[in-house]
Parts: sequence; structure tokens; C-alpha cells
Amino acid sequence: MRRSQTVTALLLAGLVFALAACAQLKALPNLPASHPEELATGPVSCTECHEDQQKGTMKPFSAFNHSRAFIANHRFYASSGNDVLCASCHKVSFCADCHTNQTELKPSLKNAFRPDRMMPHRGDYLTIHKIEGKVDPASCFRCHGRANNERCVTCHR
Amino acid sequence: MKKVLTRLFTTVSLLAFPAAAVAETTVDSTTVFRLFQDSRAGYDTKEFAPALQFLGLDVNGLHGGDLSLHFYGWGRVDLAEKSYNNQQADGNLTYGYAQYRFKAANAQARAGRFFVHEGIVNEQVDGVSARTDLPYGFGLSTFGGATVHTTDIPGESTDGKGDAVFGGRVNYRYGGLLELGLAGVYETKAPTLTSTAYAGRFGDHRLVGGDIWLSPHRMVQLMGRTSYNTETSGIAEQSYLLQLTPLKDLVVTGEFNDYHDRDLFYSSAFFAGLLNGNNLNQDSRSYGGTATYTVNSQVEVGGDFKHYTRDIGKADRFGGEVRYANAKNAVRAGAGYHYLRTSPDFAIIPSSDASGSFHEVRGYAMRDTKSYFTALDLIGYFFKKDVKGRDAAWEATGSVGYHFTPALAISGDVSYGSNPQYTDEFKGLLRLTYTMKTAAKGDTK
Repeated sequence: MRRSQTVTALLLAGLVFALAACAQLKALPNLPASHPEELATGPVSCTECHEDQQKGTMKPFSAFNHSRAFIANHRFYASSGNDVLCASCHKVSFCADCHTNQTELKPSLKNAFRPDRMMPHRGDYLTIHKIEGKVDPASCFRCHGRANNERCVTCHR
Repeated sequence: MKKVLTRLFTTVSLLAFPAAAVAETTVDSTTVFRLFQDSRAGYDTKEFAPALQFLGLDVNGLHGGDLSLHFYGWGRVDLAEKSYNNQQADGNLTYGYAQYRFKAANAQARAGRFFVHEGIVNEQVDGVSARTDLPYGFGLSTFGGATVHTTDIPGESTDGKGDAVFGGRVNYRYGGLLELGLAGVYETKAPTLTSTAYAGRFGDHRLVGGDIWLSPHRMVQLMGRTSYNTETSGIAEQSYLLQLTPLKDLVVTGEFNDYHDRDLFYSSAFFAGLLNGNNLNQDSRSYGGTATYTVNSQVEVGGDFKHYTRDIGKADRFGGEVRYANAKNAVRAGAGYHYLRTSPDFAIIPSSDASGSFHEVRGYAMRDTKSYFTALDLIGYFFKKDVKGRDAAWEATGSVGYHFTPALAISGDVSYGSNPQYTDEFKGLLRLTYTMKTAAKGDTK
């Protein structure tokens, strides 16, 4: 009996906490759905316009300057709750240029008119992957691990 | 399933243009015609002419601005020989979902097919998801639904995935200094594979893990993640990156990665099958660094080094590159050189005198004006030891295009090269792109 009372009290306390948290949600601001100004072509530096000071729990704008290091390691940013910020400038189709579960053309072939963009598997990667796959298989796994791409399983059987 | 996807793709394609009239809409359409011939010695000569359509659609501003629709997929029809997987037509829905943005707390909900990237979790799901900021720096995201199945593993009647998957991430942020995340994914029981080769190396997809972002000073960022496989009771991945910005124009990074192959590959029938012999406890470890310096607003130079260690051998990769972009980004160019130095076991066919080492040289230039655009891309891999009797694999690609309007452009590519597979490789591609947006602000990409 005492145990059920304790559980009930904990559930009630949890409910009160949840309701209080929900009531406070309205005070938490939204990021804009889209960037309010047209952005220049090419990689941007947020700090060119934004003062480098964070509000609330936001990370500093300087953390999102699109340096070469940022672009090469963008997975760390995209997967840590910053997708709402990313979406204010990037359509999801921008990500889908490379990140798909099944694709018909290499990203660098579909977008051959943009050699300046960092894209995987340029040139004769059919030969190179036989070496790179042994050197760093985890880098292959990150994209192809559970996708079972048809082009992989055609030979890897 | 493919018939359903093909019909869905066609339906949404037809709906895309009327939808543009009723809301802030972005359409990204790329139509591609390719023509190539396979005339390898010992095989029948075949002509291929696949036509491809990629279509992305974003409809924003519905229901008072809170509701949006997002779609991306592709379809292919072979106008000559079957170009790939013994099917004259094929298609795939990459994502297609409705998203509702709530009025506060960056809260949003999605329903449909979408990708999930939350901490250690990377999934494609047919289902629902929700996320919100919470008071006191906390945040919560969750998802659940049906697994998106892909190609069956050869010799099996399954892709090795369970039928349902759910998971999520909780995070805590302290000012602009620290973010900690805890995430997990649970997939229902993986199908049993008939081949005994998978015994002990393949099973259910269940991971938990944490991620961190720490910036104790505006010049310093530390970020990374660790994932733990609850089925194998082992750490699957550790990846950490330290980024320093000692000067405004100088970015220096150092990274460390450690992977335990069996724990990482355990839920991938494809990769589990690649594990060598009975040694399921191989480790892959790498560390390295990069430095990038922005000389001025037009020129950037960089260098990088990475060392790889596996049970079967070691390798080093190092090199550098330089990039140029003029003031209006109308002219862009770059050049780079890298050398991968490996031990013999990383060679394509390992032997005591084999080598997987190669030089990689690349150069590109492009010009983009209001009326036309051109690009030239050269890449060459030069092997230390011949591969199939060839000492190099190289490819030159030229692209030229014309903007009919700011939204509509036609372009064509021609590439020529030589590699260990083909003495000569000559390819052509014709591309029609249509990128339309009705929204007045924000970037299209």
C-alpha cells in the first residue's frame, strides 16, 4: 500500500513538473524558419553580420562559421540539436545532394558543374575504394553501413 | 513497393507546380540524360541511355506559416539497355514528410519518411518524430516508426533490418559553453540470416551513446561522441575533434577516432559479412590534424595529416590544397595534392612486395555568370605499384551550361579518362535544372 502511494506521489510530482515545464515552453523563443536576408553565394561566415554573443543556451555564431574545418566535420554540428538552425538557411535537399539511402548517380557526377563543392568519391573511385576501404572501413560504414546499396552488394557477396 | 513509390513520385511531381501557387514553394528539379557504351573485352557491347529525374519540393507557409511539406526523390527510365539492376525503370523516395513548427521552444513534429541525425543516431524512418527545447537548457527529441528497408543481402531474403525502430536524444546546454547529449536507438529483432558465416558477428540494431560540445574559450571547441552497442556489450565508436581558432583567419583541428569493428558493424549484414575470418575483435584507430589559413578574402590554403592504425597494417595520409574565389564568387579554382602511404596489407591484392600507396592530384576551375557557366575538373591517382598493369587512374571532366532564366538552365558534361578497369573511359551527360522559389527571403539551399 505504501509502495503504491509512493508511486502515485512520484507520478503526480512528475505530472506537475511536466505541466510546469510545458507552461514555460512558451517563454522559450523560436529560431526563424528561414534566414531573414538573402545570403551571398559560397560558404558564409555568420560572424560577418552577427555579433559573436550567444543568447540563452544558443551556441556562439562563430561556432557555425563555414570554414573548411566546419564543412569537413559538419556531422558533429548537424547531429547535436542544431538542425533547426541549419534549416534556417539550408533546404533538406541540400543535404540530400550527398546524404541519401539509395542514389542513382554519384553526387560529384550529378553536380559536375560544381567542382568547388566538397563531394565524395571523385574520379575513379571504383579502384580507389579497394584501398580506402581497408584503410578506414568505418568511414565507408558511416554512409553505406545499413543502406545495403545495390552497387555495393553487387560485388560484395 | 517500387510501383507504389513510382506512382507516388509521379503524383507529387504533378502536384509540385500547382502547389507553388498557394504557398512559399521551392522546387529543385534536375533532369539528366546519359549515354554510354560498355565494350569491355570478353563481354557483349551494350549501349545505355538512362533518363533520370531528381525532384525536390518544399512547400512552406501552410496553415498560417506553421506547416510545411518536404519531398525528394528520383526516378529512372532506361531508353536502351537496362542500365543497372535488371529493371527498365527504378525509383526511390529519399524523404517525404509533413512538418509542423510550434510557436515556441523550437518545437516541431514530423510525419512521413525522414532522416534522423541525433547524437550517435543516424536512421531513415517511415514514422513520426518530435523535438523541443525545454526550460533550464534541456532539450528532447524522439522518433519512431517503420524501418526503411533496402536491398536484400545476396543469398538472403532480407536486408538484415528489423521492422520497427524508435529512439531519441536528451540534451543539456549550459550557456554557450557546453552541450551534453544522451541518445539511443532500438530496432526490433533482426531477421535470422541463413548463412552460418554471420554467426556471432551479426544481430540486433541497438545502440546508446553520448555526445559533447565544449567551448571553454571562444578560440576552442571540443566535440565528439561515443557509442555503445548493448547487444555486443562493447564500445562501437569514439570520435573526437578539437578545433582551435588562434587567429581570425587560422583554423587548426586535431582529431581522434577509435572503432571496434564487430561492435560497429554488428547490425549491418553487409559490413558484418566483410569482417575477416574469425578475428572479430579488430580495431581501427586514426588521429590527425588540419590547418587552414585564409590569406585574404579570395585565397585559402590548407594542409592535413592523418595516421591510421588497424590490426592488419598502418597508413599515413598527408597533403595540402589551395582555393581561390574572386570577389563575386563568379570565378573559383583550386588545386590539391595528397599522398596515401600504406603498408602492403592495404594493397588491393596484398603480398610482401605489394603497396596500396598512391599520389592524388586534383585541380579545378569554374566560372559562373548570369548567362553561362563552365567548369573543368582534373583528378589523377598515381599508384606506387601498378594496379592491373596500370600505374594511374585519371579523369578529366568538362562542363558547360547556359542559364535560360535565373531558374532554368541546361548543361552538359563530357569526361575522358583511363583507369585499371577501362583503357579509355568516355562519358557524356546532358542536364536540365530548374530551381524555382516563391519565397522572397532566405537561401534556396
